Amino acid sequence: MKVALAQVSPRLGDVKANVELHLDVLEKARRTKADLVVFPELGLTGYTLKDLVEEVALDPHSDPLFRKITARTRGLAAVVGFVEERPSEKGLFYNSAAFIADRRLLHVHRKIYLPTNGMFEEAKFFAPGRDLRTFETPFGRVGLLICRDFLHYGASYVLYSSGADMIICISAAPGRGVGGGDAFETSRMWELMGETMSYFSTAFVLYANRVGIEDGVTFAGGSFIFAPGGRLVGRAAYLDPELLVRRIDLAAVREARKKWLFKRDEKPEVILRSLERAARAAED
Amino acid sequence: MPPKINAPFVEKVLVRFIREELGKCGCKKGILGLSGGLDSAVCTVLATRALGPRNVLGLIMPYGKAFPEDVRDAENLARRLGIRHETIDIAPQVDAYFTAHPTGSRVQRGNKMARERMSILYDFSAREGGFILGTSNKTELLIGYGTIHGDMACAINPMGDLYKTQVRELAAHLRVPAAIRRKSPTAGLWPGQTDEAEIGLAYEELDDILCGLVEERKRRKEIIEAGHRPAAVDRVVRMIRNSEFKRKLPPIAKLSLRSVGHDFLYPYSGRGPGVTPGSASAVLVRKHKTRASGEPKARPLTTGENKP
Repeated sequence: MKVALAQVSPRLGDVKANVELHLDVLEKARRTKADLVVFPELGLTGYTLKDLVEEVALDPHSDPLFRKITARTRGLAAVVGFVEERPSEKGLFYNSAAFIADRRLLHVHRKIYLPTNGMFEEAKFFAPGRDLRTFETPFGRVGLLICRDFLHYGASYVLYSSGADMIICISAAPGRGVGGGDAFETSRMWELMGETMSYFSTAFVLYANRVGIEDGVTFAGGSFIFAPGGRLVGRAAYLDPELLVRRIDLAAVREARKKWLFKRDEKPEVILRSLERAARAAED
Repeated sequence: MPPKINAPFVEKVLVRFIREELGKCGCKKGILGLSGGLDSAVCTVLATRALGPRNVLGLIMPYGKAFPEDVRDAENLARRLGIRHETIDIAPQVDAYFTAHPTGSRVQRGNKMARERMSILYDFSAREGGFILGTSNKTELLIGYGTIHGDMACAINPMGDLYKTQVRELAAHLRVPAAIRRKSPTAGLWPGQTDEAEIGLAYEELDDILCGLVEERKRRKEIIEAGHRPAAVDRVVRMIRNSEFKRKLPPIAKLSLRSVGHDFLYPYSGRGPGVTPGSASAVLVRKHKTRASGEPKARPLTTGENKP
């Protein structure tokens, strides 16, 4: 199959313009025969929303703009980042990722870990997600994560234990540290986790980060694809927009698991029991 | 010391920063004060690479015949880069004021001059529909070595996260002329003034202490143990503490549930309230037009005095 990482620069607060951007990129990706197009975190809204959160929030099932995107996925799949507000939970806003395949909304993941320290203030404006699960797609079992979720390795472990063949992380990661090579120093952090998770979960890891600048903060780009076993399939440019298209072979999951028996020998029930004890102790 | 920077990468980021921050407000032009010193030279080179020489206007604003070498260096730089530039003598407007309200304070006169330059920059910003690029570096911002409402006033600041010693690295990479790179840094408040004499520390030492306090989050004690003079560390700590007001909006007395500066929170480059999905574009176009033909967005201006 072919995957495309859409390393775009959304316009802050302008859902309509960003829907157009997504539709354009979807068509471009379609012309490359991509089967799956992954857009970055909050791609429909921009990142530094603050009080704009409630104004750009939408319900993916009924919002006419969102449905334009859904309608444009005939024969392909897309992961889209947006601000979610469901009619059943009015006034609760989530930083969410939707997996759409062939005009059907298969799954929505709500960001669990909302960075709120220093330059980050997500928990001031968003409600936290409370669930992690994998779901069936035309390309095997997939799990979604959003940005900081990926840096808490327990989240990837849950997806791996839940049978993920592919972990997809969408991101709006600002770059920091200019003492290194031709990238922000923080880009290394994401690549390290991507390589490690793909190595030890023997699954594909797709990381779609955004580019562009909001209020002085530069988003680092450098989206990447790792195949099982820590093999880098492709990385997009740092700083600049790119549509990174790569062919991946899903059989690599089975191949890697024949060679490295982490998955066979995994003991989630031991982990769970121990974790429950640790969590209880932390609560005491 | 502050970490060595990868200067070509920093250039890339800052060029994009200038281009994007202006571009999203529908603005192509950058305006800045050219002092003949290092910081404004670096900023001018970056602006030229980001916007093209025709879209950069450098204003050289000496007080009478003071600092002739700086004026010459600034004019040479502008010619070399091919940017538009203009020299405006601020003496008449400064003298008119101090004739009516004399003072013996050099600092007060220097601050007044910095604010006259600011008022000229903002007037040109309105005339040209251009954004004012600030040239304050991280060292100055942290110790408050700048005139509030004066040289600190700008629409965007590309250099504010680079220590002075890092600005020097960037200047070498950008091939800023040696005449500018080699001179002693000065705020130019009066003839013979140098930053380092006035601050009482060499920039290398100052940046090393600042880097310990800010980047490495060290305590006073640890920095002294690392080999710095206690008096120097205390001086830096005091300068940081006493200048917080220059880095912030003035406190607003909170009365309502939603107050400016407290919980009315919007991005700079974003939009105010009232944007609904689908109607955003129309609102944006209107706002951009207002901004391009009128006053550019101004950075927070707080009350307060003096340099240093």
